[in-house]
Amino acid sequence: MLVAGTVASWVINLANESHDISIIKKVPNFSLINQNGDPFTEKDLINKITVLDFFFTNCPGPCPIMTYNMKNLYNDFSSTDAVQFVSITVDPENDSNEILKTYSKINGVEDQRWQFLTSDLNSIKMLKQDGFMLFADELPQGHAIKFILIDEKGNIRKYFDGTDDASIAILKKDITQLVKQIRSI
Amino acid sequence: MKLFRTFSYLSTGLTYLLIFVGGMVRVSGAGMGCPDWPKCFDRWIPPTNISQLPDHIDPAKFNIVLAWIEYSNRLFGALVGLTITITLILGLKHYSQRATIKWPLIVAFILTLVEGWLGAVLVHTVLNPVTITLHLLLALIIVMLLLYAAQESYYLENPNAESDSKYPPNIHWAFIVLFITLIIEIILGTEIRGGLEILRKDNPLLDSNFLIYMLGPFKYMHTILGILILGLSIFLWYKLAKKSHNSSELVSQSSLAILVLLVFQIISGEVLVFIKVKPIVQLFHLWFASIIMGLVSIQYCAWRKSQYYHE
Repeated sequence: MLVAGTVASWVINLANESHDISIIKKVPNFSLINQNGDPFTEKDLINKITVLDFFFTNCPGPCPIMTYNMKNLYNDFSSTDAVQFVSITVDPENDSNEILKTYSKINGVEDQRWQFLTSDLNSIKMLKQDGFMLFADELPQGHAIKFILIDEKGNIRKYFDGTDDASIAILKKDITQLVKQIRSI
Repeated sequence: MKLFRTFSYLSTGLTYLLIFVGGMVRVSGAGMGCPDWPKCFDRWIPPTNISQLPDHIDPAKFNIVLAWIEYSNRLFGALVGLTITITLILGLKHYSQRATIKWPLIVAFILTLVEGWLGAVLVHTVLNPVTITLHLLLALIIVMLLLYAAQESYYLENPNAESDSKYPPNIHWAFIVLFITLIIEIILGTEIRGGLEILRKDNPLLDSNFLIYMLGPFKYMHTILGILILGLSIFLWYKLAKKSHNSSELVSQSSLAILVLLVFQIISGEVLVFIKVKPIVQLFHLWFASIIMGLVSIQYCAWRKSQYYHE
């Protein structure tokens, strides 16, 4: 009994410690415009846990699933302002502020917790490729399906498959952990 | 014959250990440690390094500690499955005429296959709370069946184990009430846990103590039933171990063990609900519940055996 207890506490401890999420790199400076026409820069990442993805509104493939998953996360974390969601369009030609605004309304966004950003294609491409280390060769179609977890200091912490339920379940745990860490500071 | 007895004890003991390991997976949050089934990250031996992941699996899902915790449950489950299969084969070979040994083993074997399949469903549904509860209940049924067959084989070897003992004949009702309350109690307990899980899914940021507060009446019913179970067990202990002539070792010791475990259950349960949800306490609370079920079943079988002698 004692042996089982000792082994079990050791395993539980090991499991708890294994949840540490390492820092990958800092998000570079950027300046984009949200669906209301207001600027959104790297400074808006500070003091919040951010989940960020790249998408476009006319996307037939994975985007609807990504948006659906993002919407669930947006609803699950509605009790706090400490978590925000950011979707950046890779099709700025089409996705004007107006269209992004409509898109946000359709998805039930009523506050600042989920913002949809645009800019010129080149800036977005640079940000995606150099800032987030994701491929950006053939935009808009060839965009990544990653959800990127960013901490309260603007560091990239982890990449998730935005179309995969099991990945989203882990993302949810990781967000929760990061929020608890800011709160305990 | 001796080999069969050894295997029937072994499969019961190992299944109890497996329930413990399964509980450990649960409380350490390792249920999705392997995102696929039966392989782990598409490998028969889970990766020890992130570079071993196949391309089509999202590396965000990889946590080496959780992967190995989950996989050890599967490996151990496979070992237990094999032991149960051997027990069944030996049982059918030697005791195909004995319904009390044959049928529990056959049913246990089939349910073990179902249990493995449920494990796969759990992974595919990303740990559906209802499936988790089913996974546990099935494990409890399997272990009780194995225990029953093991006890029957013990009596085959020791036919006079209960021939001298004289227990009161009119306590059948107490066993029935105790069994029913125990089952309701375990379901209530899993409801508290499952309820926590469901609430946490939609409100990931609330802490466990607040979530338990939200569960309201469940936890009071769980406590009240727990006290009722203690009362019934004291009654049975008094009747079987104190008021009977020549109680067998098996009966007097299991009666006492039930009381000791129940006291632990009540204390640990109150700690969980009113002080803190501690994983290690949660784990033993669940495991002891499954052991109490087994001990009551031993008590009951022994009592019936002795009634048979004195009819």
